[in-house]
Amino acid sequence: MNIHSYEKVWLIAAMLLIVGFIATITYGSVALGITMVDDSEETIDPNALEEHERFGDLGVHQTDSDEYDVHVRAYQFNFEPGSSALGTHDPIVIPQGSEVTFYVTSPDVIHSFSLVGTNVNTMVVPGEISTMTAEFDEAREYGVVCNEYCGSGHHGMEGLVKVVPEDEFHLFSVADVDAPESIEAGEETELTATIDNDALQTEAATVTLEIGDEQFDTDVEVDAEASAEATFTVDTSDLDLEDADDLDWTVTVEADSPATLEDGSTSGTIDLETDEDDEEADDEDDEADDEDDDPNDDDESTGDDE
Amino acid sequence: MSAYIDQFPAEAKVIRSAFYTSFIALALGAAFGLIQTLHRTDIVRVIPSEMYYTVLTAHGVLLVVTFTIFFLVAIFTWAVTTSLDRGVEDIRFTWSWYVLMSLGTLFAAVAILAGFTDRTEMSADVLFTFYAPLQAHPIFYIGLVLFVIGTWLAGADWFRSWWAWKQENPDERIPLPTFMVLTTMIMWYLATLGVATSIIVFLIPWSLGLIDTVNPTLTRTLFWFWGHPVVYFWLMPAYMMWYVMLPKFSGGRLFSDPLARVVFVLFLLLSTPVGIHHQYLDPGIAEGFKFIAMTNTMFLLLPSLLTAFTVVASMEHGARQRGGEGYFGWLGALPWRDPVFAGMALAGLMFAAGGFSGMINAGMNINYLVHNSLWVPGHFHLTVGTAVALTFMAVSYHFIPQVTGRRLASKQIALFQVVLWFIGMTFMSNAMHRGGLLGMPRRTAEPEYDFPFETAIGTVGELNAQIALGGVLLTLSTVLFVANMLITALNDPADDLPSNTIPEPLSGSEDAPLVLDNLKLWTAIAVVLVIFAYSLPLGSIVERGGLFGPGGDAFPMFIEFVEGTVFGLTGDSVSSLVNSPLEWLRAMR
Repeated sequence: MNIHSYEKVWLIAAMLLIVGFIATITYGSVALGITMVDDSEETIDPNALEEHERFGDLGVHQTDSDEYDVHVRAYQFNFEPGSSALGTHDPIVIPQGSEVTFYVTSPDVIHSFSLVGTNVNTMVVPGEISTMTAEFDEAREYGVVCNEYCGSGHHGMEGLVKVVPEDEFHLFSVADVDAPESIEAGEETELTATIDNDALQTEAATVTLEIGDEQFDTDVEVDAEASAEATFTVDTSDLDLEDADDLDWTVTVEADSPATLEDGSTSGTIDLETDEDDEEADDEDDEADDEDDDPNDDDESTGDDE
Repeated sequence: MSAYIDQFPAEAKVIRSAFYTSFIALALGAAFGLIQTLHRTDIVRVIPSEMYYTVLTAHGVLLVVTFTIFFLVAIFTWAVTTSLDRGVEDIRFTWSWYVLMSLGTLFAAVAILAGFTDRTEMSADVLFTFYAPLQAHPIFYIGLVLFVIGTWLAGADWFRSWWAWKQENPDERIPLPTFMVLTTMIMWYLATLGVATSIIVFLIPWSLGLIDTVNPTLTRTLFWFWGHPVVYFWLMPAYMMWYVMLPKFSGGRLFSDPLARVVFVLFLLLSTPVGIHHQYLDPGIAEGFKFIAMTNTMFLLLPSLLTAFTVVASMEHGARQRGGEGYFGWLGALPWRDPVFAGMALAGLMFAAGGFSGMINAGMNINYLVHNSLWVPGHFHLTVGTAVALTFMAVSYHFIPQVTGRRLASKQIALFQVVLWFIGMTFMSNAMHRGGLLGMPRRTAEPEYDFPFETAIGTVGELNAQIALGGVLLTLSTVLFVANMLITALNDPADDLPSNTIPEPLSGSEDAPLVLDNLKLWTAIAVVLVIFAYSLPLGSIVERGGLFGPGGDAFPMFIEFVEGTVFGLTGDSVSSLVNSPLEWLRAMR
């Protein structure tokens, strides 16, 4: 075959270019350790995610001193956790300087989980679990988008990853608060909060009680992967009760931390009994309170599951 | 010495119909494109955002399936009849595939456009990729199948012509244009097996409710089995135009016939075993398979790089025939005022840019940064949206007079139109590429989020302005094109049309080794390469998730995949064979 000499030069240059490309990619893959999302995870039944050890327990989990697993469910049209813009779910909060492995799956259609402007980017296919490991050295926020069309609400599917300074990061949650249902105004009462620490090390938690218009802080040490109780004694005669029928309270752990999530806080109401109260009014109040409490209780129980 | 319509009046009629169908698709697709470009940049939002995806589906399917493929069956028919110098064997058969393709388009279009109205349950808002578990109405899938069968019959028609010609000319080389058509069609037959299996075996029964679930990774992989070669199906006719027509319009001859044959053989071999490079970020596919697809993809650059050389060399030859001199001075001697030449040359220039962004997509690690971002549509608006579409529009200014016998309405407007396309695409695609680097996603109605995109240079507003401006210019260009074609079709007959000839190459087929014409051999090698690249990944996907997906409640189970374990095990070992050196090298560090 007759090949012009210039064409031969071009052909050789083209081959060198191709081999060069393959070499640089191999270098990136080997020396820089950029691995591909792959088939290392077992398949999962998309209709039974909650039975899975990871997806029955969504959120951030510590696996080693600076290593975390984040379990995310990407569904039409949110990330759980992640989609915090409309308050649907908590943002994903991780500490600075950590190595984070994301586990993402979908119960419905194909999505993606993509941290904008980074190379954390993976398809999320129902029946498969996508994993990606990344290091977060900078305290900042990253937007998360779904970049695969997933239905008519696709454009609203977004989330947030917050990387916070290490000392502001914690894995505390308020597991339970033991508070009286009703007290007599002017009486002294006690509230006991159970604080869970999911971290792998003992940490001190500042627990805050807001009741009426007063605020009380107390510090409590919580062992690794354990619980501790914080008790508040409140003398209601110190509170400005005016003619209130009830008393709202909120217990928050690490209230000032950017890492405090929905389950870092629990609220409730204590009925105030006064002599003038008649029975009927009380019942009505109770019913109304129950309705108010129910959604809270639900939140708490989901929070505890997580 | 006569125009095509004088040589082959019956064939000219079919070709004309195919051209007109493609132009209708182009006009509709462009209208949807305008709605999108203004919607996603938030300049004007005339539709609710949920409807954006109906528009996007229609834009994609009408342009990359209907416009391109109707156009290419027209020029393939022209190429075969002209280069063999014989009409089709049976014009009724030729009409039958045209009708089947039209019917398929109609079915799919009805399903898609029904998404605009609530009066019917029907819709197909599944985009061009129709990834399950997103489900379209059955007639969308049935339409696609009819369309593909139509193209199969069209290929059979051209093979039939060639066989008949071969009986009469047993010792002659396959004429280059026919060779290009046949190799492209073999690639197409091989590639469509993937999408046909996906649709016929899984998606149609599933959309009819005969089976409950499908395996999303499997249907997705079968889609990309076809989804990458289809881009070469669009591109090959454009390459054919660059090889056989561009030298003619430059005033010269093709540089090398043997190299052209080599290029088309390489495309036949390498177009299909690369589809997994669209799935670099898919879970459920081993890294080793991705690495193999990446390597094949890189070698697929070779025929395009060779084409760049041959096309530029042919243009230079033409320019020197016209009196051009100097290292670069010859460029000025090219017929830049001819819309056919100018359009094709500008398309080729943009293809170079699109090729470079494609090389980046192919790099599997850098792909993390750009995967599914606006970068990707930026890339393919340069390739299919310019290299192919602009070449097609430019050669229409030559072909429509040839197949209608009528005078081109306006050469000046034609020249303005091709330049306008080039300018519009420059604005739109550069901004799309840049937006992609910021992480802006593709395929979204409202790329506005609670967090900002961080720009290094410029602003998001400026990018959006460029995208919208580019989109408006492109729409304007399409309007000028379609109007010019419409007026040409109704214009006075011309009696001074150039004759329908293809000049002989400088280095002719006598220089090409005979083995290049051995289509059976190349088909066999192509099949083997596809088996290498795909049997193990497909086997392992089925092994992992089952034929009907990990949901498990498939009904009825009419296929027992007994080889599953065998495939899965071999697949693991081959993948780990590729992977273990990588792992070993990683460990070394």
